[in-house]
Amino acid sequence: MNAVGYTAVAGQIVAVTAGAPLLTGWMRQVRARLEGRAGAGVLQPWRDARKLLRKEPITPAGTGPAFRAAPALLVATTVVTAALVPLLSTDTPVSGHADLIVVVSLIALGTLALALAGLDTGTAFGGMGASREMTVAALVEPTILLSVFALSIPAGTTNIPAIVTGAVDEPARLASPAGLLAVAALAVAVLAETGRIPVDNPSTHLELTMIHEAMVLEYAGPDLALVELGAQMRLTLLLGLLSSLFVPWGIATTGSWAALAVALVLLAAKLVLLGAVLAAAEVFWAKVRLFRVPELLAGSFLLALLAVTASYFLTGAS
Amino acid sequence: MNGGLYTQLLDLACGLFLLAAVLVLWVRELAVIVRIFALQGIALAALAVLLGAHEQRWDLIGVGIGIGLLRAGVLPYLMRRALAAITADRQRYGTAVAESRETQPLVNVAASLLTAALLTLLAYAVARPLTELNPTPATRALPVGLAVVLIGFFVLVTRRRALAQVVGFLLLDNGITATAFLATSGVPLIVELGVSFDVLLAVLVLQILTTRMREAFGTTDIDDLRELHD
Amino acid sequence: MSLIPAALATATALAGAGALAGCALPYRQRVPVVGVLTAGVGAGGCTAGAAALSGSRWSAAFPGLLPLAGAHVAVDALAGLFMAVAGAVVVAVAVYGIGYAAGHGAHGLGSHSAQAVLPLFALTLVLVPVAASVSTFLALWEVMALASLLLVLAEHRERVSVRQAGIWYAVMTHLGLVLLLAGFALFAAQTGGETFAALRAGAHTVSPAVRGLVFVLVMLAFASKAGAVPLHAWLPRAHPEAPSPVSALMSAAMVNLGIYGLVRTGFDLLGGGPAWWWLGLIAVGGASAVYGILQAAMASDLKRLLAYSTSENIGLVLIGVGASGLFAAYGNRPLAALALAAALLHVVNHAAFKALLFCAAGAVLRATGLRDLDRMGGLRAPMPVTAGLFALGALGAVALPPGNGFVSEWLLLQSLIHGLAVPGVAVAVVLPLSVALIALSAGIAAAVFVKALGVGFFARPRSTQAAAAKEAPRLMLAAMALLGAGCAALALVPGLLGDGLDRAVDAVGLPGSGAVSDGGLKVRLTDVSATLSPLWVAAALTTALALAVGLPRLYGRRRRRVNARLWDCGGGAPTPRMAYTATSFAEPLQRVFDDVLAPEQDVDVTPVRESAYLVERVRFQHRVPDRIEHRLYEPVLRSLAGAGQAARRLAGGSVHLYLGYGFAGLVVLLLILAVGW
Repeated sequence: MNAVGYTAVAGQIVAVTAGAPLLTGWMRQVRARLEGRAGAGVLQPWRDARKLLRKEPITPAGTGPAFRAAPALLVATTVVTAALVPLLSTDTPVSGHADLIVVVSLIALGTLALALAGLDTGTAFGGMGASREMTVAALVEPTILLSVFALSIPAGTTNIPAIVTGAVDEPARLASPAGLLAVAALAVAVLAETGRIPVDNPSTHLELTMIHEAMVLEYAGPDLALVELGAQMRLTLLLGLLSSLFVPWGIATTGSWAALAVALVLLAAKLVLLGAVLAAAEVFWAKVRLFRVPELLAGSFLLALLAVTASYFLTGAS
Repeated sequence: MNGGLYTQLLDLACGLFLLAAVLVLWVRELAVIVRIFALQGIALAALAVLLGAHEQRWDLIGVGIGIGLLRAGVLPYLMRRALAAITADRQRYGTAVAESRETQPLVNVAASLLTAALLTLLAYAVARPLTELNPTPATRALPVGLAVVLIGFFVLVTRRRALAQVVGFLLLDNGITATAFLATSGVPLIVELGVSFDVLLAVLVLQILTTRMREAFGTTDIDDLRELHD
Repeated sequence: MSLIPAALATATALAGAGALAGCALPYRQRVPVVGVLTAGVGAGGCTAGAAALSGSRWSAAFPGLLPLAGAHVAVDALAGLFMAVAGAVVVAVAVYGIGYAAGHGAHGLGSHSAQAVLPLFALTLVLVPVAASVSTFLALWEVMALASLLLVLAEHRERVSVRQAGIWYAVMTHLGLVLLLAGFALFAAQTGGETFAALRAGAHTVSPAVRGLVFVLVMLAFASKAGAVPLHAWLPRAHPEAPSPVSALMSAAMVNLGIYGLVRTGFDLLGGGPAWWWLGLIAVGGASAVYGILQAAMASDLKRLLAYSTSENIGLVLIGVGASGLFAAYGNRPLAALALAAALLHVVNHAAFKALLFCAAGAVLRATGLRDLDRMGGLRAPMPVTAGLFALGALGAVALPPGNGFVSEWLLLQSLIHGLAVPGVAVAVVLPLSVALIALSAGIAAAVFVKALGVGFFARPRSTQAAAAKEAPRLMLAAMALLGAGCAALALVPGLLGDGLDRAVDAVGLPGSGAVSDGGLKVRLTDVSATLSPLWVAAALTTALALAVGLPRLYGRRRRRVNARLWDCGGGAPTPRMAYTATSFAEPLQRVFDDVLAPEQDVDVTPVRESAYLVERVRFQHRVPDRIEHRLYEPVLRSLAGAGQAARRLAGGSVHLYLGYGFAGLVVLLLILAVGW
């Protein structure tokens, strides 16, 4: 029982860490095929990471401890959240600590560390990226917390395993307007947090359009490997969180080995599917202008607020 | 019909109905706005049909189907034709894009969305005493109708293009219809028919007005109507 | 039982001695002696507060001390909480002040007057919560206001702006006093007694309309002291212009007393009230939170930024207090207790990190003479300890784990999220909006403190002063380390505060929530299920950090770090002038909130004489004025000035005329009395 729980936590961490480059590779591959290219293969991000890790670490002139510590902190916050979010099992030794507010705050902490590193370089690129990233992060925050609010109303708690278990027991919660609106709102927030296409373009290096890449421009070698891994892990984790919250079936709610194995397979399937959908969508979408992003976020905020209100004025929870 | 399923479907229809109103505020492209309006028409029709099926009133189902045809079929078709006429006309001058988009609403999009949030809360607060009189799944969804009325009014106040105005007006009307359905399970058939006919006429009139405006001013920005004042 | 009066008496005696020492001693001895005595005052207050928090109570009356009514004092856990916070802040800041004023010269904070007033100010900070009658409270309140005013003005010889700030502060604080006086006088007249006990007993006999009026008057007064929007105008002026230890005292201890007054009057004396009181309070709090942090995001003066951030945090506290009152008004007392506990916990946390931040800003100011973030930069190299401590404080202020602000904000969010259990339209509408406002202010706060830390302390120096900075003296660092330890303790083991917080909530008649308890490690909500254990989060983060640093090293070949040039687009090494400044960092946020902030900019192009197309000089000016101030205060000031101009005609200059006014006034008054009664 306990062994299963610890294995589940370890499994979540390993799945997110090892799966993140694969998911990114998969998404790039889907995108390449849709655009009529052959693509570099699913394993390419792993090969990149290996190459970068073997290079010598570089300290750009004038940077300080914040610049060196940020990549590790980014990965560390993601690892902790990966342990907390019930991707595989709701019955783990850490499930008591898996508070939704803590999870979103830890993710924000990673963003903050990277923004500080961007400023630490003292270049215009770093500052620009940090400034834009923090603006987007600030505007995303209300959407995220209101979605948390909406999700926690039916469950009566912000504890994620409890929310997931509740949704598994009572699937009607998910098909309600509140649930659907919260999904939509949270999906936009996830796109913004992970710097995906309507908000930021992860594959550009054009100063007018980039946010995240501008911030991490000075990184090279093993540091860059960590930054990339961190970004990929965040994408995997947040897609995993979305799937746990809104497609919770398959997540182990009891401590049995079989359930855990099924959960692992299903998690991989969900992530592959979500990744493919996102990659396909990105082919058709264009990045919006930076100052149109607030509109997008205001829209997602409205959806989140409607989710909160819908959860009591439609089903009459109160 | 099973009670739980009925509530679920009713809620979903209401959620879609409200979402469509919100999307009208969010989107700039007039063609997309018309499509969203059609979606809202479907949601409204579904609402009526669901209520009718639940209370086993065939006339209500009939009204629902009629509404669906009118609001998801005829009205969007008319609007699309008006839009096509405008853009085809402007194509010659190369300003078709400007005409087919709501480029400069009086209140910017982000602020309109936040206002819509506040309006929804207001609708909820106002409808609360009504809901408490007879809390059924239908009356609980009453604030949705009111919110759409308010959002429709807001669209009417802040959008410049004549076509967006038409959509605002129709949102208002959709909201009123939805409120009527949810509060009293539908107005008498004859009244509903009359209202629908009025709406159709209003849209036709507005379509003619749009055409005239375009001929007179070369644009459908209703702020230009100010010139008629002097 | 006997600990509280003994500690308070010691504090009073030490303050007296400190004031005398400040007047009498020469400069060299003055600063350390007064500093130590002031620290003693703080220690006394902290001891008394801690004793009250651990359950003791004390009350006494001194009939001869004040004319007419005499002085009444009482200490309960609520007062104890604020005394302990103020006392702890005073201790650290007094020690810091020794280092700050030493070597600074015998003017400014080191002058006779400032050093004489400092211990008195410290004493009033500790004693205001002790007052248990209207006259005692008002007397202490006014002494506190005057003492702080004198301290704000300490550097008036050095900068003209100090005088401006002093005038604003004096006017605002006295308007507050007038409102407070009016509110309390009305309340006392209606209940027929002026001790708090009498007010408490008589509150139920007062008509609802009068109670409402009393609450509004008192709320306005206390909100202005707490620096809540729109009565905050003095705060971003006085805090930056005051010497840094004084800013720290004001921002971390004095504004709290506004909250104390509000909780004491609203919950304890008036015994709660209808929903509209609390909705008003939540509205004020929400406006403060968002507007304060937006202005902080625009500020490039470090101390002004911190001052606006105080407005924001007070806003969060007010939301908590308002929510608590609202829940109590609808009868859900456990939830009300939870929200109040969250608000009080946030007061404690805010005091800890804001004192630290102001002290660090003071250390920078002392080392470089700069408050302007745009001209700082690169301070982490010459001032590593200060930079580290500032980062610790900033972590608290951004409300992210593992900072101390996160614990209280989490509790506040929990109380709001679970507030939907309370019926009522107002609750259902207000709570989601409050959550959204808190989230927005937290998000912008992250940007604000990334700006303060990243632009001010990181990258490379952007001015010669910043390049020549030296680390602060040991004493200042020690004091800041003390505050930093406080922040860390509050962040990791908030449970240490547990019982005291419950008693403080209990003191206003709400059942203790037990939110912060369980072996001093966990924040646990008893009526709804949610747990947070900050220590666990911190430990998990540390472990993960060790893994993230260690594992890649195992894989990669071990190589030494190599220095490299920054990427420069082939255009030569980027100069510090190319780095992002605070203003440019804030630009996207400013554009997004354009409609709220209404920035002003002038472009002034001077062409050369011969041709209109060749430009000789371009002057660009950009300001983000405080819009509320513009819209709200300027019309009032203009009409006041107009009235003043009109009144000049009454003053002809003749002494006989002036005496005649007095005489006429007296006669008219007597006539009214004779006719009317």
